[in-house]
Amino acid sequence: MIKVENLTKRYAGVAALNGVSFEVNRGEIVGFLGPNGAGKSTTMRILTGFIPASTGRATVAGCDVFEDSLEVRRHIGYMPENNPLYVDMRVGEYLKFRAQIKGVARSERRDRVKEVMEKTGITDVEKRVIGQLSKGYRQRVGLADALLHEPDLLILDEPTIGLDPVQIRQVRELIKELGKQHTILLSTHILPEVEMTCNRVIIIHRGKILASDTPENLRKTLHAGGAINVEVRGPQAEVRAALQAVPGVVSAQVTAEVDGLVRVAVESQGNEDPREAIYQAIVKGGWTLRELSRSRTTLEDIFVQLTREEDEAEEDRRDQRRTVLR
Amino acid sequence: MRNVPALLRREMNAYFASVLGYIVLIFFLLVMGVTFAVIVSYLMRGPTQMTAMRIMFSMFWLPSLVVTPMITMRLLAEEKRSGTIEMLMTAPVTEFEVVFAKWLGAVLLYALMWGLTGVYVLILHKFSGGTAALDLGPIASGYLGVLLIGQFLIAVGVLMSSLTKNQVAAAVMSFAVCFAFLLVLNWMDYLFQGGVVNKLLKSVSAFEQMEDFARGIVDLRVVFLYLSGTLWTLFVTTRVVESRKWR
Repeated sequence: MIKVENLTKRYAGVAALNGVSFEVNRGEIVGFLGPNGAGKSTTMRILTGFIPASTGRATVAGCDVFEDSLEVRRHIGYMPENNPLYVDMRVGEYLKFRAQIKGVARSERRDRVKEVMEKTGITDVEKRVIGQLSKGYRQRVGLADALLHEPDLLILDEPTIGLDPVQIRQVRELIKELGKQHTILLSTHILPEVEMTCNRVIIIHRGKILASDTPENLRKTLHAGGAINVEVRGPQAEVRAALQAVPGVVSAQVTAEVDGLVRVAVESQGNEDPREAIYQAIVKGGWTLRELSRSRTTLEDIFVQLTREEDEAEEDRRDQRRTVLR
Repeated sequence: MRNVPALLRREMNAYFASVLGYIVLIFFLLVMGVTFAVIVSYLMRGPTQMTAMRIMFSMFWLPSLVVTPMITMRLLAEEKRSGTIEMLMTAPVTEFEVVFAKWLGAVLLYALMWGLTGVYVLILHKFSGGTAALDLGPIASGYLGVLLIGQFLIAVGVLMSSLTKNQVAAAVMSFAVCFAFLLVLNWMDYLFQGGVVNKLLKSVSAFEQMEDFARGIVDLRVVFLYLSGTLWTLFVTTRVVESRKWR
């Protein structure tokens, strides 16, 4: 559905995108994840034909986004960041106007408007002026607009920004529901959002793609074993040594000792899960086990880790350059 | 140009959904009404060479100078400020369609305003007892002149509105340009007495042209000048809206 090859975008010499390539297949819900200023909106604006890329190629439904912009726009339902709407218009009026300029045939217009209003639950505010609606309702008007011309692809830039928790949940449910019929590319900087709604994540940082996979796979490949917390009643040094000796354990660090209870943070290797072996080791030592748990790596950890690695690499490169210059 | 009717309807809606359209209409009719009353009471004093409508048309620059920046300042500046330009330009419409529809919307509002002053003609006809020959030819050509000059000033206003996100800045800029075009160009007359420059200034002076129109003279060169001026200005505006693509 979307194919992006080596996209770069420079604003007045500053690179907003730096060789971005990815693909989105029909029927996927892909989350575009990155901190503010990572290049999410820029990529989306290029895909929707609002601005062109400096170099590189992007196609939507087989059409080049720059050469064949009008055709591409007919395939895309787009909701820009902050969802700008004509605040002086009434909801029904606005949707009718949008249907017209999106080329919905006159005979179908009324039905289409009615249908998208039902789908997004805004039928009861049809006669209200958009400027007087709550943010949650406005967001739905934006979504309804994106759906009007039955696009194959929905591009939603930060669809839940600025909403209250109840509205966020409603909009997410709606997006999930829409995902059954449309391909969706949505951007966010809220991590749980991606885990809840998307079946694939693309992590972007400083105009570069750092990772692209399902949330599950990202967890597996990047930080599989994760940390294991152990709390044992026993002598600190011996416990630590015994845990360190368990196969599959990379490191064991005592984090606290209170009233003879020792807390150890165990780092395991790769895909191994050494929890049973840890239990055996503790039984063998004759100590009492109070807690043995595995802290699941969240997408947040992965994200922080990836962006930190990238930042450090960037730092190194800069240092090197400085050294060379000297 | 398939999308122009839809875009145009939205523009007309915007004028009358907000107070702007009504305020401009009221302001305009108030100023013109007072002017008309003064003219009529002046003519009551005794016979003159002038007709009431000719004096009316010679006052055309006053409302134009204030009204055109007022109705054009919002057009593109507000779309840029609120970000709705992104919604508009990611729908399958072209930049020229958008610019053209905005210009046309403002011209229609302007035409409506001046159209309402047609009542004055009816008043004159009624109260002159039908005896005073109301010469419809010069009146029609006078309105043509007003529309011709107005639509060009509106195109200038649309261009100014495309240059900034700030409505007030757009209004000030288009006021300045319209002021220079209408009045400064006219005053330059005094600096260049006689010669080619004077002739040139006279031929582009809106006052001279309006004088002709009000007398019933339709100079096709002037018509062509304004229409091509508008076309050129709208083209430049389109390029300005497109300029986000090459920055």
